[in-house]
Amino acid sequence: MDVWSSLMDGFATALTPMNFLYAVIGVILGTAVGVLPGLGPAMTVALLLPVTYALEPTSAFIMFAGIYYGGMYGGSTTSILLNTPGESSSVITAIEGNKMAKAGRAAQALATAAIGSFVAGTIGTALLALFAPIVVEFAVSLGAPSYFAIMVLALLAVTAVLGSSRLRGFSALGLGLAIGLVGMGSGQARLTFGQPLLADGLDIVVIAVAVFAVGEALWVAAHLRRTPLHAIPVGRPWMGKSDWKRSWKPWLRGTAFGFPFGALPAGGAEIPTFLSYVTEKRLSKHPEEFGKGAIEGVAGPEAANNAAAAGTLTPMLALGLPTNATAAVMLAAFTSYGIQPGPQLFASQGPLVWALIASLFIGNFLLLLINLPLAPMWAKLLQLPRPYLYAGILFFATLGAYSVNLQAFDLLLLLIFGAMGFMMRRFGLPVLPLILGVILGPRLEDQLRKALQLSSGDPAGLLSEPIAVVVYIIVVIILAFPLLLKLIRPNRPATSLLAPNATRGNEPTDVG
Amino acid sequence: MSSIASGLKGRAELGVALLLGVAGVVVFVDASRLNITYSQTDPVGPKTLPYIVAGLLIVCAVFLAIDVLRGGKGEAEAGEDIDLAHPADWKTVLPLVGAFVANILLIDWAGWVISGTILFWGSAWALGSRHYVRDALISIGMSVATFYGFYLGLGIPLPAGLLKGIL
Amino acid sequence: MTIVVGYVPTPEGEAALSQAIAEARHRNTRLLVINSAKGDALVDNRYAQEQEIQSVEDRLASQGIDHVIKQPVRGHDAAVEVLDAAEEHNAELIVIGLRRRSPVGKLIMGSTSQRILLEADCPVLAVKAG
Repeated sequence: MDVWSSLMDGFATALTPMNFLYAVIGVILGTAVGVLPGLGPAMTVALLLPVTYALEPTSAFIMFAGIYYGGMYGGSTTSILLNTPGESSSVITAIEGNKMAKAGRAAQALATAAIGSFVAGTIGTALLALFAPIVVEFAVSLGAPSYFAIMVLALLAVTAVLGSSRLRGFSALGLGLAIGLVGMGSGQARLTFGQPLLADGLDIVVIAVAVFAVGEALWVAAHLRRTPLHAIPVGRPWMGKSDWKRSWKPWLRGTAFGFPFGALPAGGAEIPTFLSYVTEKRLSKHPEEFGKGAIEGVAGPEAANNAAAAGTLTPMLALGLPTNATAAVMLAAFTSYGIQPGPQLFASQGPLVWALIASLFIGNFLLLLINLPLAPMWAKLLQLPRPYLYAGILFFATLGAYSVNLQAFDLLLLLIFGAMGFMMRRFGLPVLPLILGVILGPRLEDQLRKALQLSSGDPAGLLSEPIAVVVYIIVVIILAFPLLLKLIRPNRPATSLLAPNATRGNEPTDVG
Repeated sequence: MSSIASGLKGRAELGVALLLGVAGVVVFVDASRLNITYSQTDPVGPKTLPYIVAGLLIVCAVFLAIDVLRGGKGEAEAGEDIDLAHPADWKTVLPLVGAFVANILLIDWAGWVISGTILFWGSAWALGSRHYVRDALISIGMSVATFYGFYLGLGIPLPAGLLKGIL
Repeated sequence: MTIVVGYVPTPEGEAALSQAIAEARHRNTRLLVINSAKGDALVDNRYAQEQEIQSVEDRLASQGIDHVIKQPVRGHDAAVEVLDAAEEHNAELIVIGLRRRSPVGKLIMGSTSQRILLEADCPVLAVKAG
């Protein structure tokens, strides 16, 4: 099917009054949780999963899309006004953005972030619409051995490349895979300990809510910031002529950095935002302003951040491989609706996927429309009393997890895995590999089974396709890369720019 | 690396290594007692992946223990509302967990409206809110609203418990 | 004896501070500056940041006033903190700034100044922003 006509059909679906309403709810909710401390888009989508069972999957995903992009808008608002980046991808925005705000240019910083996000998000979504079908076409030609290899690559890449300690990443991955084993997979009861309630496996919704919501709420409660901060007062964001002139090229360059990195299995948003910042600093006509509030240093990284978010959806929709937390929870949502993610998704759920992509365009536009005038109101949200905020998170986490099966046993699981989420945050085990392990583990086993069925049990069958071999070579390179780096440049100094604030905890150490 | 404080901190993280190790052993033992029914249609069998996962967990446990003993530390997660400068505040966390457990114990018997009210009010109290009346009104309002919202809006009947017949 | 002033980094707060300084010079007593926050929100613009406290400090020092600045964050209302401090230091006077509030705003949030006026055991001097 032709991309253009599918996309137009998508717009037709997404623009029905009900779906449009969900898009509006999504972007407002997304921005709010992005602004609010302690909440993020991944947690919000997880909390909403059970509630959305009653909805059409299309409407639910349209809302999730709004939350996904909205969360990023909200996140950049707080990094600029407070200098407390909630996510690592907005650390760079905070460097120049907060300096600008302190110098009385908060309105311009917010404007370049918002318009840059719009530009990057729109271009990124267009690239997604263009490339995802191509990736699908390529992916459907792959057999189980290649697909298995690609899944291994995605898991290992996210675990090994993102995060500060590979060892702790793999520990989290192991725990996630173990959780994914629970239940009657492969016809035998594994890790059920004779408990009939475990026979169906651990509900991914319960795990996601536990790790993202309960674990996070408990962790924040244990370390609440005691001295209140000041938000820099801001009026309606706007930009002058010279700001436009200095912003538009960084927007485009940021987009060019962000999208490909987001689309890679282990790209993430940190590397492209950092690259964009460094590039803008080098190309700027005002390099002396960097570190004191240069608008290019907000425009570029913000665009890169949003383009990366769009890029991340490419492997998520085309291959069923999520590479960030929100995408992982959205993938879990597909599974809960009984929709099989993977290369078949475009064929089997074409209308849904295209409505989702169309709603990304709509959401982006809505965000620009809503956020430019409402920035002062969003800043007010930060004064919400935190007892209500975190009590509310626990309240809705409980409600959501309970409503899936209406059994108190799920709440016990919620507490146990919430405690695990707390422990992981305390000891620096990243959450993303865990959740990917839970989601991809069972699918990995499926693909392994299919691949070996083809070769009648011969393990060499795993290498029977050239793509598989290439992917395994990449896997080896990723795993060996740090060792190579150590051989070439012993004691390489860490890039200090990535951690500009003293908000970081103890120094990571690595054995792997 | 010889001070008592860092030694204690290191020991806490050894607990993570222990947990990984225990998880690995449990996965291994559980998998080994599965009956293998070799068949042409399933060359992988139910044991392969558990064995790999068990291996991964145990290897990670060993390396993590070594890393911690050598003075390695996990990087505690930072965030916009998080101040890592002070140690974990158990006076907040434990009452929170208490409110959570109370909800688990009460939900089926007393019903969501009561257990949810206790959960929200207790959590707000644990987190330092001292507006008892305002908190109670918000808690009851949220519980009742979600009860009817789920029932009428989503068709999910949350347990009415003690208030059956009233709600 | 001591004068207690409830300080917030707003025009009313500055007015209260100026008045308190004048009173402290006149009576030749110690000045206790209280700037408190409940600490229940991430952002609280009434809690003075380092810079503002420094400028208050400089101002008091340059005028040669014996002073103490406190910023308690203990989950109490500002009124409670000011009243506590007044009692503890046996204050002879409390100085506060008043701001205009709508009746509805007062109903929802209560009024810090009203509570201090009603509950204080010593004279209270209320100042409006110039």
